[in-house]
Amino acid sequence: MPNRVAIVGIGQTYHKRGRPDVNQAEMVGEAVRAALADAQLSIKEIEGVFFSNMETFEGIYLPDHGMAAEVGSFGKPGLKVCTGGTSGGSVVVEGFYFVASGLYDLALVIGFEKQDCGDTTAAITAATTPVWGKGAATGAIGEFAKQALSYMETSGAKEEHAAMVRLKADRGACRNPYAHLKLGLKSVDEILQSGYLVWPLRLLDFCPQSCGACALIFASEGSAKKITKKPVWVADVEVVHQEPFRAGIFGDPTGQETYTQHVACERLYRRNGITNPRKDIDMAEIYEPSNWEEMNLYEHLHFCEKNEGWKLIEKGITEMEGEFPVNPSGGVIATNPIGATPVIRVAEAALQIRGDAGEHQATRDIKTALATALGGPNWTVLTLLKRSL
Amino acid sequence: MSKVTEKLEGMNVWIYHGQIYIPNIYSAGAVGSRFLVGLRDKKRIMGTRCPTCNRVYVPARSVCKDCFSQLDEWIEVSHQGTVLSYSVCHQPNPVQPVETPLVYGIIQLDGADTGFVHMLGEVDPEQLRVGMRVQAVFKEERVASILDIKYFKPLG
Amino acid sequence: MARESPKKKAKESKPEYIQVAFNTPRPYNWSTGKYLGKFYAEAKENRKIVGNRCPKCKEIWLQPTVVCPKCKVDMGWDWVQLPQTGTVTQYTYLVYPLWDPHYGEKWANPYPSAMILLDNGFYYRAFLEETDKDKLRVGMRVQAVWKEDYEERGQGPADILYFRTIED
Repeated sequence: MPNRVAIVGIGQTYHKRGRPDVNQAEMVGEAVRAALADAQLSIKEIEGVFFSNMETFEGIYLPDHGMAAEVGSFGKPGLKVCTGGTSGGSVVVEGFYFVASGLYDLALVIGFEKQDCGDTTAAITAATTPVWGKGAATGAIGEFAKQALSYMETSGAKEEHAAMVRLKADRGACRNPYAHLKLGLKSVDEILQSGYLVWPLRLLDFCPQSCGACALIFASEGSAKKITKKPVWVADVEVVHQEPFRAGIFGDPTGQETYTQHVACERLYRRNGITNPRKDIDMAEIYEPSNWEEMNLYEHLHFCEKNEGWKLIEKGITEMEGEFPVNPSGGVIATNPIGATPVIRVAEAALQIRGDAGEHQATRDIKTALATALGGPNWTVLTLLKRSL
Repeated sequence: MSKVTEKLEGMNVWIYHGQIYIPNIYSAGAVGSRFLVGLRDKKRIMGTRCPTCNRVYVPARSVCKDCFSQLDEWIEVSHQGTVLSYSVCHQPNPVQPVETPLVYGIIQLDGADTGFVHMLGEVDPEQLRVGMRVQAVFKEERVASILDIKYFKPLG
Repeated sequence: MARESPKKKAKESKPEYIQVAFNTPRPYNWSTGKYLGKFYAEAKENRKIVGNRCPKCKEIWLQPTVVCPKCKVDMGWDWVQLPQTGTVTQYTYLVYPLWDPHYGEKWANPYPSAMILLDNGFYYRAFLEETDKDKLRVGMRVQAVWKEDYEERGQGPADILYFRTIED
């Protein structure tokens, strides 16, 4: 049986398009100091430091080696994780294991990406296998574009629904001081008039390239209760990877591809007695690189039946004031420093449970939250958080 | 487009010659920029001092590695220093700043508590010694880069 | 009249942030191995698309694999020719040029990228010849178009230039 682990400190940088005022190490240091201040701990008390980052995006090999001073990892155990888009989710799982093992009390978990250093789409295209990927790859965005088309064809969703999701995200981002894109979008029509980027994805439909870092401090049960009155318990985690050998990675018309979200949810929900996710969980912070993928994920995460994802947004169920808020922080479509993004999902879900999300706090009381990560060829990491176990 | 795949003799195996060519831009950050601008505009080499550990870091950096304090005390250090170690590189590589043989060393400038890597010039490799005293030679045209220092030459 | 102190007159200067560019390509060599090499050989010599078939579940895999992803058994050397006509199930096209890391330059590939359901039920990712976006639709019938010149072939999947729309 694992020992109980809680989140006792949360820190983020103010995510932006470019941060010329800091180098990568200093940017990460900002998030670390914010998390330490939140937990009122000193760096000396941290026993292990875990990083999540995708080096190809910045072109800095082994970035964690160059930031021991700025991050306070000198002399401490830890490791850097890169599992594509799910890196932040994987590093949360690593930090969880470190403390759940009972060998250590305090872990610092950091996700970061300084995307003003390089070109993300080029880096993703370079990550594909040289022969097959190169010829037809259009980066991640091409895959999501094809998914969007599939979703429109099979589920009956319209571009208006995608625009509604985008509007919801922007409302949340404008109330989140840390979010990157705060556009002040006013209406679905405004979004439908914007231009296409990779058809049928509009410029507004896809996540930005952001610079930012997010740090979490995990503590064992004994330490957590001494450090804070509001620990957020990491009830469970689940990780599922796979390699797609068949059709479109994110939108599979064959119905044969195994979606990692299905496998991960089936296991996590069963272990935690969750039979009706929208009732048994209070909100979710999901990793949605595009607004079309958000509607797809509502279905894959079992928040609704197949082909009904667009109905949740149409009825306002997933709005901040709704019965099942999804991404009240603005989500990935407003802020995406890729290595940090899944860590931000966990951080934002934890803030909601603590009641500390300020202006983007969901209306209903949040006692249980689900944070997801998505990446690579549709890998999934799930983290279930609770106010009390 | 040029051929990028080559067949191996005698078997149905092809070798794909690829490259990853993504340009990168790195920010020096506020502290790094102030150091580099000092080199360009005033031929000044600056460090930052940790008051707790009483250590001066050169090139200037923003955090002390031992006590985690943020550093904001700037100190100018001498252009002269001591060679802590050195090596001569004969193998060329596209990322090198100058052609081989490339002589580089770790130099601790007077007033600094750390060494940093830079090139040694106007010196015969036979005459390199650990502990030798060197002096910075600046370029005439400087662009706020660590290479605004052309190399360090032996003193005296 | 008293003179203003020079300190008060000094303007707040904006800090200068230095950025350093790094532009060196990183070359690498990648071997296809003999399984993918068989695909290359058939494409070059015979203008055929082949995949290998699992001895246990009989499913065809392309990219050819050494071990069947479903059954985890050794695939062996049973090669099957795939049809060269199919139906478009998903497609997308670039509007803005994207940075291509293989060439180190920005370009907008004019050919749409598509997922094509070949006539035997196998999905194949390729480019389409039709660049007029108004003529693209899901369900249209397409056929592979190869590079004619033998010397030009030997690039594996790139030996197929694109899929051309065919009238029903």
